[in-house]
Amino acid sequence: MSGNGPVIEVSGVSKSYPMGFWRKRVKVLSDLSFVVGQNEIVGFLGPNGAGKTTTIKILNRLAFPDTGTVTIFGEEAGKRPGSRRRIGFMPEQPYFYEYLTGAEFMSLCGHMNGLGRGEIKRRSEEMLTRVGLDGAAGLAIRKYSKGMLQRLGLAQALLHDPELVILDEPMSGLDPMGRMEVRNLIRELKDAGKTVFFSSHIISDVEALCDRVVMIHKGTKVAEGSVDELMGKEGVQYVEVVFSPLPPPGWASAAGLTRESGSVQGDTFVLKARDHEDANHWIGELRRVGSLVTSCIPVKKRLEEIYVEQVAGNAREDGLGG
Amino acid sequence: MGGRIVSIAANTFRETIRNKILYAILAFALFVIGITYFLADLSVGELTRIIVDVGLASIHIFGVVTAVFIGISLISQEVDRKTVYLILSKPVPRWEFIVGKAMGLSATLALTTLAMAAMLFLVHLGYERSPEPGILIASAGIYLELVLLICLASFFSTFTTPVLSAIFTLSMFLIGHVSKDLIVFGGRSASAAVQWAAKVLFYALPNLENFNWKNEVVYGGVRSPGVLGMAAGYLLCYCAAVLTAACLLFSRKDFK
Ligand SMILES: Nc1ncnc2c1ncn2[C@@H]1O[C@H](COP(=O)(O)OP(=O)(O)O)[C@@H](O)[C@H]1O
Ligand SMILES: [Mg+2]
Repeated sequence: MSGNGPVIEVSGVSKSYPMGFWRKRVKVLSDLSFVVGQNEIVGFLGPNGAGKTTTIKILNRLAFPDTGTVTIFGEEAGKRPGSRRRIGFMPEQPYFYEYLTGAEFMSLCGHMNGLGRGEIKRRSEEMLTRVGLDGAAGLAIRKYSKGMLQRLGLAQALLHDPELVILDEPMSGLDPMGRMEVRNLIRELKDAGKTVFFSSHIISDVEALCDRVVMIHKGTKVAEGSVDELMGKEGVQYVEVVFSPLPPPGWASAAGLTRESGSVQGDTFVLKARDHEDANHWIGELRRVGSLVTSCIPVKKRLEEIYVEQVAGNAREDGLGG
Repeated sequence: MGGRIVSIAANTFRETIRNKILYAILAFALFVIGITYFLADLSVGELTRIIVDVGLASIHIFGVVTAVFIGISLISQEVDRKTVYLILSKPVPRWEFIVGKAMGLSATLALTTLAMAAMLFLVHLGYERSPEPGILIASAGIYLELVLLICLASFFSTFTTPVLSAIFTLSMFLIGHVSKDLIVFGGRSASAAVQWAAKVLFYALPNLENFNWKNEVVYGGVRSPGVLGMAAGYLLCYCAAVLTAACLLFSRKDFK
């Protein structure tokens, strides 16, 4: 439809809010740029207060940037109301009209999206079932639990079968079962050819799911790329090789291993090799003294460590900058 | 477009009709109107007049109270509770939201005004044994005034707090009933500038006396349909202007 260009293109977006007694303008986003490509799942990662919700509001034209541009499907985001038909959005901790039932609310959303009566009925039943709320369709939203509200938020975002789905903290407030269901749902959206952009401050949700990650901290982008890219080319930090039975006492220090790189754990000897080549060398050495390999695991740097590194590194720069 | 506005209006109607404060006010108004039946018994003089005067005044006051106090929270509540996110992120232009909200509350107040007018009509009928259609016409005038106040309340609430919106809207209500005097005062001034300013103010401020059909209707001298039509036309133009301003202010609003 819109060729092969990016689905979302944020470029040079800054946003400040007046804060405190003197209404001093404080920067919430500074010169933020990133893209979301077609049929990608992109995670928007950052600690609380990083500016994720503000960015997502700007994508949905609920807030306006001070400078910079945001295009979605090649058009200024949301400027033409009709263009929002292609987007499904779930706000952070969504708020609903509590006097409506789930089904009534879905019907209202259907009308807002310009769907026909029959389509509204069919799609809303389908989506409520999809998120596991079919039993609660006739229940007043006032009586919904937090998890149910989150599910209803997802159902209304998907009601009109949008090409781009934007979710603000879709997994927050859900139990492990619920988190898994949301993860599956996002994967299914990708399989159906949709593009998904979602924010989270929980790394494992992003790591497991995303094609790419945009990491922000204090309104500034600190990293962007595929999970593999962010972890370095191979991503392997060290190779952990476990041997059994134990080599003779004193062998390790004689072979030049430090306490760090080779240690006895129970009745096994655990060796941390720099890389595969190094691992093969030690496997040969240990075989000679009768110790055999029981397991060999390349240990990858986790996104979490990158995240902590970036966020801490950023904080250090702040400190240096005064 | 029409479908979305009607949906927003219907949802607002549903929301406001379930408002407990509305029922409290309505119940109290019906009680006051009902009690005039017995009050009239106690007093000397023109009994019918008392029933109609007190009754129409009740319809007016209770109507204004509901229009202002529900009107000011109509939009601000949606913004504060963030329900607006789910509507405005969909293909809904912001002006449709404002117009739909105002239409929804107008529908609710049509129903409550009708209930009060019907009550007064019946009380009067029970006392006088002859129907007085003037009561219904005067109530219709009150209703048009309420619609104008809803639009003003919506307008103020797009840029200020509910408390200030209430103060501004109530001020407009009070000024709106004496704005004709502005022209009179202005006319007395020797300064052309003052005369001119008075005229500008007169046209900017609502002239709510246009909708005051109490005396003429109930005590003879029925207004011609032409005058009623003019009042309706005035309402339409004034509301269109106020809502346009409200929509412009709302269109670039940043939500918290
Ligand atoms: N309407 C607002 N007025 C003032 N400050 C705001 C407003 N919205 C957000 N902020 C501030 O902007 C920063 C980023 O907030 P937010 O985008 O909600 O972060 P996140 O979603 O990543 O947790 C926070 O410090 C927050 O206090
Ligand atoms: Mg947030």
